[in-house]
Amino acid sequence: MDLHNNSHPESGRLEQIISQFLLKSLHIILDSRIPSLHPHDRSGDFQSSSRVRKSDKWFNLVLGDRPAALDNLNFWQRNVMDPMIIDIILVRRGTTSSSVDDLYSSMADRTPIETVMERWIVQYNTQRVMAPQTGESSASCKKIYKKSTILLRSLYSQLRLLPAHRIFRQLSSSSQTYNFDIIYKVSSFCEPFSWSEEEMMKEYSFMPVEALPGHLSLSVTFRPSLSDFNLEPLATFPPKIITDYVGSPTTDPLRSFPSSDRGDRATSFPLKGIRPLISTPFQRPHSWTSGFHRAAPFMANQSLGGSPPAYRTSPMPYNFPHTPSGTYGHRIQSCRPPTHQRATGNDEYELSPPFSPSMSPSTPTYFSSGSPLQTRITSETAPVTIPFPKSGRSSRYLSPNFSDPSKNSLPPLSPKSTRHDPSSQESPSGIRSIRKPEALRAGELNSGIASHYSGHKILKDGKDDSGRFSGLLSSSGSPHIGFSRSSSRLSFQDDLDDGDFSCPFDVDDVDTSDSPNSQKLDGKKNLESTPHSLLMGKQSQDAAVGVLVHMLRTALPLQQDPSCYSSHSLRTDLDEGVATASGFFMPRKTADALEELRSYREMKDLLLSKSGTRVASKEEA
Amino acid sequence: MNCEVCQLKELEVEHFEIREVLRCILHTIVFHRALGLVRPKDIDLELFDITYVQCGDIEVEKKIDEKIEQFVSWVEKHPNKKSEICLSFYEVKSKHPSWFTNKIERLDWEQWHINLNVTQHPKPKAHSGKSHHSKIVVDPGESASEERSVRRASLEVSLREVLFQIIKFVNEKKDHVPPITESVIYFPYEIHIPSSSDSAFGMDMLKRIIQTGHPTMLS
Repeated sequence: MDLHNNSHPESGRLEQIISQFLLKSLHIILDSRIPSLHPHDRSGDFQSSSRVRKSDKWFNLVLGDRPAALDNLNFWQRNVMDPMIIDIILVRRGTTSSSVDDLYSSMADRTPIETVMERWIVQYNTQRVMAPQTGESSASCKKIYKKSTILLRSLYSQLRLLPAHRIFRQLSSSSQTYNFDIIYKVSSFCEPFSWSEEEMMKEYSFMPVEALPGHLSLSVTFRPSLSDFNLEPLATFPPKIITDYVGSPTTDPLRSFPSSDRGDRATSFPLKGIRPLISTPFQRPHSWTSGFHRAAPFMANQSLGGSPPAYRTSPMPYNFPHTPSGTYGHRIQSCRPPTHQRATGNDEYELSPPFSPSMSPSTPTYFSSGSPLQTRITSETAPVTIPFPKSGRSSRYLSPNFSDPSKNSLPPLSPKSTRHDPSSQESPSGIRSIRKPEALRAGELNSGIASHYSGHKILKDGKDDSGRFSGLLSSSGSPHIGFSRSSSRLSFQDDLDDGDFSCPFDVDDVDTSDSPNSQKLDGKKNLESTPHSLLMGKQSQDAAVGVLVHMLRTALPLQQDPSCYSSHSLRTDLDEGVATASGFFMPRKTADALEELRSYREMKDLLLSKSGTRVASKEEA
Repeated sequence: MNCEVCQLKELEVEHFEIREVLRCILHTIVFHRALGLVRPKDIDLELFDITYVQCGDIEVEKKIDEKIEQFVSWVEKHPNKKSEICLSFYEVKSKHPSWFTNKIERLDWEQWHINLNVTQHPKPKAHSGKSHHSKIVVDPGESASEERSVRRASLEVSLREVLFQIIKFVNEKKDHVPPITESVIYFPYEIHIPSSSDSAFGMDMLKRIIQTGHPTMLS
């Protein structure tokens, strides 16, 4: 090398200037492009530091600590003739077509895409060999030094005006994580750009500094626009204000279920409290629960998307179950009505088919088991007692008796009770038409029903007993229903301290005819006005008629009489016809019932006498 | 030493943009001529997506801000006028007898002419008057803001071009730069703003010619 061979002392100085120039330029470039080298705010950093390093004094530009990478590049000081090529490379993680796949794949899985944003070439070119002139060497060195200083100033400013500086600033200033990074590569040789790459690049060359025997050159090939790259922060979980966070007791916990998967990592108490509760009822084979199950696994996926909005933005579904959120919403829809209607108390009858008040024995069970779900769904903060038989349909039968003096839901009184109690004839007058066919069926159900109430205390008047019994038949063919009604009736009677007791067959609140409330509930018209009792009455009436007809036909000797009675009961006065029809079947069950009634009555009298309470039934009788 | 003159590209700025634009240009020039030991400071413009470099000297910052305020005051008195700010680097020549003065002469060895066209665009009106430009009824507020944003973008591009122009000039012309003095951080400079009189521009130029001496002097 010429500089080395020259023994002139200035040559050494020139070489020193050149080598330091290379290092300084590398320091400036890396400091302005690689955030990892200096992860701090650069605006006023050097102002506070008063200590000036030896490296800072070179070219009068204080840059701070030299990156450790530069220490590994001291070989430039040995061979300043070799060019120094600095590639500023933009590394991007490959993105898939959908953002969901991006979320599944980790950053390490994606193939990094490297793109050279800038290529800086710093070199000392010696085109000819010249013997340095001693006289001008000192001055020339000074000039070279001055011009090199100006050149480095220009380099410093230029670096801030090129497009890559924006990316550097984005990486170095923000605390967010991005899907890209900037790395560098320093070498003395490089692969030329491809033709397509070269077309996209621009070149800028600084005015070279003459440093005889050569000159210092500095040039850059850069991409004028970086907008083609998808450079954005990794916003997997952007900070958002979740207005309907599950933590709020006012929100529907079901709506927050998708976030519960994240909540598993983040400990969300209400969600965790709901999950086991919800899971149990959903084991029941019901259509809307299956949708929930389907939603559950997908919700986990959606949680990776990091957005509860995934379900929030989806419309409330009425078509089930196209989307998990839609399914979820369907579940909400299906859950909400019963919950809401339960509050009203009387609308459960109009529920969707799963909640239809069928006469099946499983229905009350359904309600009772469904209510916990509904209870817990609606309110996480306010525990709601689970209404058992009193809820739902049973409450329908019960509550009107207490609250409504018109006694709309009362089943029709038995004809016997009507006969025995003239005063109560008014009440069952409107319901006797219903009672008529029921009486035909009373005998069938008597044996079965009686077994249910063997252990229950029943206070009932004779006529009421029959009436209740018939009423029971008219209202429901389900022993369970009757059971619940009777039990409710019993409880009512206990509360009222009524001397009368209801027949075990008579679950209905017709038994209240013995009690003061029963007198209040003598509304035959009200009974007819009650849709349920009317419906029940109509259904049982038809059924009873059918049974009656069948029985009459099968029993030859009896076919004529019942048929006469049945037909007659339908046409003639209701009281007589019913009395006749019911009386046809009455003797068999009424006798037993009366005997039982008397026994219970005696028991009641004993109890009341002991308690010193007047027997209301005697007065009523 | 000859005096190199650089005429920068004219920029059309609004009143509220004057400070940022001038601060950016003046500091960039001074930074390239502050060849003493400096601690560069990156400054991000607020109105534009541009980062420029200051030399970090407090005195420079004060002087530049002071001159900018004087210019802004002048602009307020002379709205909608083209104005020029001259940043000149000079050398202090030891006094020697001259024809006009015995004072210490200042010889500019470099002059930067910053040309600004300060415009005052009318604010968007609530009620639009006659519109001859288009048949489509456009909200005047929206059009004014769009127009402003277009001007802003254009100004940013132009400002970048001015900065590149500075860098290019600094690199192309190095020989006229005086040698570096160790105790001096930056070369002495002066910022000339238009004076109140209309003919001030011409007078300023005449004064500068007298101060700089013969323009073809060589070092």
